[in-house]
Amino acid sequence: MSQTPYIYEDRRRSFLSCCYSFQEVLPGLLAMFFIAIFSNNLAGVPNPFTLENLFRYLDAVIGPINGQPLFQILNSNFVWNPFLLGLIIGNTFGVHDSWKRGLSYIHKLMPLGIIMLAPHFVFGHATKAGWAMIIFAFVIMVLTAQFTIWLGRRMGVDDRHAGDIAGALATGDPHVTAILMPMLKAKGGQVINALACVLLFGLIASFLLPLVGQLVGMKDEAFGLLSILGIGNTGQMYNAAFGYSYEAGRWAHYLEPVRHVIMPAGFLYVFFVLFLRSRINPDDPEIHATRPHKAVPLFVIIFIVCWILAQFHVFKEPAHLAIFEMVKWDFSLAAAALGLSLPLREIAQWGLRGFAITCIAGTARIVVLVAAIMAAVHFNWLTF
Amino acid sequence: MERHPHTTDAQGFDYMANSGLEEKDRDYVGIILALVIMVFITVCQYNGLL
Repeated sequence: MSQTPYIYEDRRRSFLSCCYSFQEVLPGLLAMFFIAIFSNNLAGVPNPFTLENLFRYLDAVIGPINGQPLFQILNSNFVWNPFLLGLIIGNTFGVHDSWKRGLSYIHKLMPLGIIMLAPHFVFGHATKAGWAMIIFAFVIMVLTAQFTIWLGRRMGVDDRHAGDIAGALATGDPHVTAILMPMLKAKGGQVINALACVLLFGLIASFLLPLVGQLVGMKDEAFGLLSILGIGNTGQMYNAAFGYSYEAGRWAHYLEPVRHVIMPAGFLYVFFVLFLRSRINPDDPEIHATRPHKAVPLFVIIFIVCWILAQFHVFKEPAHLAIFEMVKWDFSLAAAALGLSLPLREIAQWGLRGFAITCIAGTARIVVLVAAIMAAVHFNWLTF
Repeated sequence: MERHPHTTDAQGFDYMANSGLEEKDRDYVGIILALVIMVFITVCQYNGLL
């Protein structure tokens, strides 16, 4: 067995040296590929034996909960499924050394997937709800992110972990934890711990929120907005809204694009706040998030440029949908590598403080939202 | 330096480690691939191939 230490610079000839040789990367790429195609129904792969189809079958057996498939409420999707499969395989059989060069392609797939996400967020999709609604959602998102980051610092949570939670909670999408991973330089265990925190809080909140709505006597449309802006993922939002009333559920469907289109602003906000903080405090040993970045990463700048282009409908339909199919491929492969990399103890080692800040920040957001939405409806600041 | 047995091979290559020149090169490859895929699909759309 060779014990020569690995130094990248010694073998670098051009920037393509990071692709390594075909022989070195093939086993790892095949591992990612097979986990991906047995997890999700991916474009071009007619494989019916996927985890996605298994969950759909189980959803059909169990029946809907408030009109929603159970595994949607539990966040089954193109990131979660391959991650889960990779986690099970990695923790059961380990990860063979021959796979590791190929699995390192996760670091190419992350910027690739983040950039290709840009055409997915078009303001025009939400303007039917009105700019007042978009600005309202934006303010709530920024306040949630800022409060969560502040709370994380107060409670001594690692800023990469707190930043991940802040991004996912504020945007209402747990997968923002994965998007923020290369931006904040978060560890895999922090990312998955944060994702679990946001999902678990969202699950609890989605069943309790209808009780809050009934207690304060919210109108259906107001409760639809509360569900969209107050809960963790799309399935959970609809679970809460349809749990309140059918009309509230329909309003939630109508208003959901408002949350969706401003999502990049949420994770970019978290990134820039933590990036500036690490630049302003270069010697603070408590600041880890974004620390290794000497400047704003190029892929973040390109994402922003593509996001701006998307607002001008440069990526028309169905090009946008075709690009999104590539995003599914990309994140399926990357999530498989992430799942394989994580022993369960690395997820657990970040403890329950993350869940505590998620619950406190999430509950505070719901309280503020209830008051703000009721005031906005009463004074006609928001029209539905 | 912390060695992570789950992700590190016998030569000390840690597939979850990403820093320095190697990180920059990986970013370049990811960015180029992303732009190539997006431009290709968009050009196909504009030429009526989608």
